[in-house]
Amino acid sequence: MALRRRSLLACLIVAGLGPARAGQRRFRIAFANLDETPGVTLEGLGFTGIEMRRSFELAARTLPVDMLYFDNAGNPERAVANAQAAIAARVDLLIEYNADAEANATIGRLLATAGIPALALIDPLPGAPLYGPDNRAAGRIAGDALGAFAQETWPGEQVQGVLIGDVAGPGVAVAERVQGITDGIRQSLPTLQFTTLDTGGQPMRADALLTKVLLTQRGGRLLIATLDDLAAIYARNAVEMQRRQSDCIIVSQGLDHSIHGGASEKKEIDPNNRGSVLLGSVAYYMDRYGYEVLPLAMRLLAGEVLPPRTMTKHVLVTAANVFREYPPFDMN
Amino acid sequence: MRTVGFATCVGLSLLPLLGLSAPALAQADCKSVVAPSPFGPDDQTGATNRVTPQVTKAAAAEIQTGVVTPMANNLVDGVPLFGTRFTKTILTAVSTMPGAEYGKNKLSYMEDTYLSQSHVGTHIDGMGHIGIQDCYYNQTPMGKYVTQNYLKRLGIENMKSFATRGVIIDAVKVFQAAGKLKPNAACKNPCLDAGTVITEADLQAGLKMYNVTLREADAVFINTGWGDLFQQFPAQNATYNGGEPGISKSAATWLATQKVIVVGADTWAVEVIPGEDTTEAFPVHKTLLTDNGIHIIENARTDLIAAKAAQDNRATFFLNMTVPKAVGATGTFINIEAIQ
Repeated sequence: MALRRRSLLACLIVAGLGPARAGQRRFRIAFANLDETPGVTLEGLGFTGIEMRRSFELAARTLPVDMLYFDNAGNPERAVANAQAAIAARVDLLIEYNADAEANATIGRLLATAGIPALALIDPLPGAPLYGPDNRAAGRIAGDALGAFAQETWPGEQVQGVLIGDVAGPGVAVAERVQGITDGIRQSLPTLQFTTLDTGGQPMRADALLTKVLLTQRGGRLLIATLDDLAAIYARNAVEMQRRQSDCIIVSQGLDHSIHGGASEKKEIDPNNRGSVLLGSVAYYMDRYGYEVLPLAMRLLAGEVLPPRTMTKHVLVTAANVFREYPPFDMN
Repeated sequence: MRTVGFATCVGLSLLPLLGLSAPALAQADCKSVVAPSPFGPDDQTGATNRVTPQVTKAAAAEIQTGVVTPMANNLVDGVPLFGTRFTKTILTAVSTMPGAEYGKNKLSYMEDTYLSQSHVGTHIDGMGHIGIQDCYYNQTPMGKYVTQNYLKRLGIENMKSFATRGVIIDAVKVFQAAGKLKPNAACKNPCLDAGTVITEADLQAGLKMYNVTLREADAVFINTGWGDLFQQFPAQNATYNGGEPGISKSAATWLATQKVIVVGADTWAVEVIPGEDTTEAFPVHKTLLTDNGIHIIENARTDLIAAKAAQDNRATFFLNMTVPKAVGATGTFINIEAIQ
């Protein structure tokens, strides 16, 4: 019955009665977020669940949708309960962001039974198209940038790689980023040796860890890849305190708000800070997911078959393009 | 293309330091970037061309009781400012010192020095304020016309009269009536929250509320209630600056088709912030100023005239506003009054 209702709906939309037209049907879309607990960050990067939810709130403003928001709070049981609540609320579509595979299998079964389509964020949900980062590609961008920098700036010189981040117990995503980084750098510097510095999830440890390396390796150049932006900022501190700016370059992952600001809120990656040892950060745009995912949801509701996986388009953001990627609105 | 634009922007800011002439850095084909002016290829005035004697005479009919309602905020230290902007007055009162008076009549005097940027407080944006790359109103390649001190084209001295009809659209009432008002807790009076999109349908509903039909050369003001935070300065400056309710891109386009000369609001940018598309910067500014020559007035005080409209069931007035002939300026603070 539910499937027949969806088919009819799709026909209506395709016939020109779609969501973009005023006065036509509005859709109820639920977004179950991974974790909105204050201070909890997502996917090993600096973005919070609150930021991600806000992106859905903003993106929904101009779409014919009424949003229902759920916080899975990092709890698989709660994720299942939230999915049941969304089904009970008879939503037209569920956007699920939950890391637990077993719970996702349950949620997938519940949705299939109810005939409610779904979109999965970052972690797979049975039967649902997936939207998420291309971790390997993002890592590769950073690695390419570091390798290119070394070739241009320090041709023929001795160079060493340093990888800083929460690498002790990496999930698949972090492992893919690390692989991408090393692949990228070794494209330019095939024999480059890496030193891995584990922050253990405490980015501020990057300062002390890197300081030790800088004190023991005074002669060489260092290509420093960090797995999150806060670690990059602490690594920059270490480089500056040891006065090794001419020997080091840092590229990070994430581009969260700790590292870029606006016209009045100045931060590390800024058009007026082009000489920074922190070259840039690869953008994951997790604070814009709503703008990417809700249009996909509308296409799905219109009956379109989405590709099994849609990936974020990652970009290396530096002082030269930060205001184009994140136009400041504190400048009027 | 985007790199060129940024390089142009940076290049312009460095020109005075490098002693270079601007034309070498003007890189965009402005005819493909900005729409031509409806007032001719040499126009520097913009929409105030529409304020003809007939328009002013018709607007004068709005003056029925002579009641004047202020529509500007006080210009004073502590109000919300943006970026590196500042405003500071320095009082010169030397002759008031004992023995420094002039003549046997002991005349004294005082003066002020304004150390202020022009886009502060209740202010108007001129044609030289907003462009795309180096292309400004009427396809003007501004790189050719920028000096260290002022613009050689599109300065606010080119504005004509603002003696026209003003119209207040009370978006707060519109959203209340539609049952969709989501206020901000920091507002002491009802306000639309930051990020609230005001569409052309909302504007039309606001006009219908007072049975007003826009006509050519009208000056439109929108009451969002957000100005409540401005008036709480400095306590709510961060909230005020952190975003705002405002008109959508399509609402701006619709207003342009109505051939208005001004769009003002009790917000710092008139347009919704965060914008509808977070990858775009101030698109409403571009639509109104750059493409259509329509002035923007920011930080206007609209609550009083909105209340007056509700009280009298009348949302139109004679706009009493003049702008200093500041040669080559991109904008200026102003005073505004609504006379009914």
